[in-house]
Amino acid sequence: MTLAQKNWIIAALGLLLVAMLVVVSYREAQSIRHEAEPEAVVTDVNRGCVDCHTVQTPVIAAQWKDSTHGEKGVGCVECHQATEGEPDAFRHEGQWIATIVTPKDCARCHAEIVEEFQGSHHAAAGKILHSLDNVLGEFAEGPAAAANGCWQCHGSEVKLLKDEAGNVLYRDSGAPRFDPMTWPNTGVGRLNLDGTRGSCAACHSRHTFERAVARSPENCGKCHLGPDHPQKEIYDESKHGIAFYTHRHEMNLDSKTWIAGQDYTAAPTCATCHMSATKSQKMTHDPGKRLSWTLRPPVSVRQENYESKREAMQEVCSSCHIRSFYENFYEQFDGAIDLYNNKFAIPGSELMAMLYAKDKLTATPFDDELEWTWFRLWHHEGRRARHGASMQGPDYTQWHGFFEVAENFYGKFIDQVREAADGDEEIIAKLDEILARPEHGWHKGGLPEEMMKRIDEAYRAKYKQSATGER
Amino acid sequence: MSGSASGAGRSGLSGWVGERLPVQPDKLTAGLNEPVPAHLKAYWYCLGGTPMFLLLVQVVTGILLTFHYRADSAQAYASVERITHDVPYGWWIRSVHHWAAHLMVLTVFLHMVRVFFTGAYRRPRELTWMVGCLVLGLTLLMGFTGYSLIRDQNTYWGVNVASQITSQVPVVGETLRNLLLGGPENGDRTVSRLFVFHIGVLPTLLFLLLGAHLLLVRLHGVADVRRRETGVKTSTYPFFPDHVKTELILAITLTIVLCALAVIFPAPLRAAADPTTTPAHVKPEWYLYFTFRTLKLMGLTAALLVMGAFSFLLFFWPVVDDRIRRKRPGSEVSVWIGCAVVLLLIAFTIWESFA
Repeated sequence: MTLAQKNWIIAALGLLLVAMLVVVSYREAQSIRHEAEPEAVVTDVNRGCVDCHTVQTPVIAAQWKDSTHGEKGVGCVECHQATEGEPDAFRHEGQWIATIVTPKDCARCHAEIVEEFQGSHHAAAGKILHSLDNVLGEFAEGPAAAANGCWQCHGSEVKLLKDEAGNVLYRDSGAPRFDPMTWPNTGVGRLNLDGTRGSCAACHSRHTFERAVARSPENCGKCHLGPDHPQKEIYDESKHGIAFYTHRHEMNLDSKTWIAGQDYTAAPTCATCHMSATKSQKMTHDPGKRLSWTLRPPVSVRQENYESKREAMQEVCSSCHIRSFYENFYEQFDGAIDLYNNKFAIPGSELMAMLYAKDKLTATPFDDELEWTWFRLWHHEGRRARHGASMQGPDYTQWHGFFEVAENFYGKFIDQVREAADGDEEIIAKLDEILARPEHGWHKGGLPEEMMKRIDEAYRAKYKQSATGER
Repeated sequence: MSGSASGAGRSGLSGWVGERLPVQPDKLTAGLNEPVPAHLKAYWYCLGGTPMFLLLVQVVTGILLTFHYRADSAQAYASVERITHDVPYGWWIRSVHHWAAHLMVLTVFLHMVRVFFTGAYRRPRELTWMVGCLVLGLTLLMGFTGYSLIRDQNTYWGVNVASQITSQVPVVGETLRNLLLGGPENGDRTVSRLFVFHIGVLPTLLFLLLGAHLLLVRLHGVADVRRRETGVKTSTYPFFPDHVKTELILAITLTIVLCALAVIFPAPLRAAADPTTTPAHVKPEWYLYFTFRTLKLMGLTAALLVMGAFSFLLFFWPVVDDRIRRKRPGSEVSVWIGCAVVLLLIAFTIWESFA
């Protein structure tokens, strides 16, 4: 063999080696891209579902393919499987399935989480079905308001449509027909046909079930906003919310572990404080575990074991704040709750109790103007003041909160109680006793002349008019 | 004394230097002016110089990377992340280091292919080949240890596989594994251990062996492969400056290629190591695919034996080849065996990349 021939062999092998590298690099680049966007694993049992639903419901199929479930091969059947005889089970393309996925289904893989959730206030949100709020929704407003409003957050009691003989009605496809008053519904405390409570999809929107969604404040804002519990709006105006919306892109919301100070430092979200893992606490699906007060009833009460619950929350605070900071914050917050309780809530509830006991009010709620006034005072304005103080929303604490509580109390409530008492000496004596207390004394006794003079001077100096607009 | 002799007769700066560096400039120039055969003008006969240049690139970029790299199992990945995303030009330095490593392995392969097929390893240059084989091994080890320092999911599990293989080596296996990992487990001490190998032990050995390799080349002179065929001594030209210029052109071309690769395909950074989740596919770098495929085909023990035998044959190939040619003068069986091995290597590598 001549040297020239050998040179050709070297050239050919050299080129092949380089070509080999190009192929390997291409495959490497592909695998890295797949790692970044892993492909869904369609197992044999799910192939039929995925093929058909990619055409029939392309969005559901695409969302599932993008999900961690898809990536891990947890497909349609794994979640929607049912057994013959279950109330909503039906035969579909050779499988027994159910349309609604309940916590029982999720528990097949996420048992510990479901168990913890079942013990939470979230899972009990369906209890509204026996509350004043539900009276308003179902009676004062109307059933459609309850179905479209209340139950979409609190959860409906899922029912199947039946004929007069009590037999379940079915669609042509063989699927049972759900009562449209009760489904679709992803209320967090939904009462399911299998006896379980809740819907995991309330927070973990199907069919992507993204961590980022569950950790975003907007997710909680589906329900925690509005006049009676505007937690999301309070968060938005707080320093926490401001930091979040400014630095959202730095929040690492998709991260597998999500510990403040370790995986992100920009801001906390609702999930950070109420649910997420910290350096020493595990993630929880019971958002009440770190709450020392319940601020929902007319009079705020301390939770059972409130000290340990407060310690748990303070441990979260300590991810970002020094001890003196969060301890002083808790004193400020407790001060607001004590003020609300002692000045307005306890006296108000005592007066209402007396009115009911003496039949000055009927047992039917909301049939008297005073009942609307009182409901607004604690259920709307009082909660806004308390929730505002709990999450550092100054405007909700003051103008949407305590201001309206006071306005309502002094402007309407007192007069309406006096009128409802209808001359009952005991009730009127109680009302007068309350109003004679130092914290209410200003209302009847007036403010010192010197103070009024200073206010007038300040207004005139600043606005060239009196505090009442007199020029 | 020679010092004073070389300094004598010169004045000023050169005299001052000459007195302190007793080397005669003429002799130094003569040493560099070594005549080299004219075939070196063809570029693929210059491939030996390219890994040298790339090694230089690795030293410079490697030193820059150590400024920011934390050789600690817990902090390594975060520091690579910082280098990639925060340190000014960090991504570029890291990418050049990454690509220079790949090109180094490739150019060593190409250099070996050229030397093998032109029979340049034959008597009296057997030692040059053997030292070269050791340099190849060290280059692969440098690649493996460097890649493992990233401590991402792939490299973490790669180290686990490597330690498993190492522990299977008869007699010294477990000791070797402990030496590699800093203990029986791929844990706290592993990254600092690999780091010491990557920037201390292996480069020292590499430089010593490269020195020996170059010294041998210089002592024997470049093999005149054409003379073997024609019997006529080919024309020569001086190493310095003519051949150095050729190597410089190659170095410039390589620099351009490296910069382009670094910018167009920056070094990737995969997910951080997660000891609790075994990834579906663990793969080493491409230059170990061949070994990895063999491992998958034969199982650990058989693969170790085969790879051991292969390394042994490769190392002693000049001796084996000599035996063959003595028995069958003029035989080109070496060429065919070489072709078969390279094609097998290519086939296994591509196979593994699709696995």
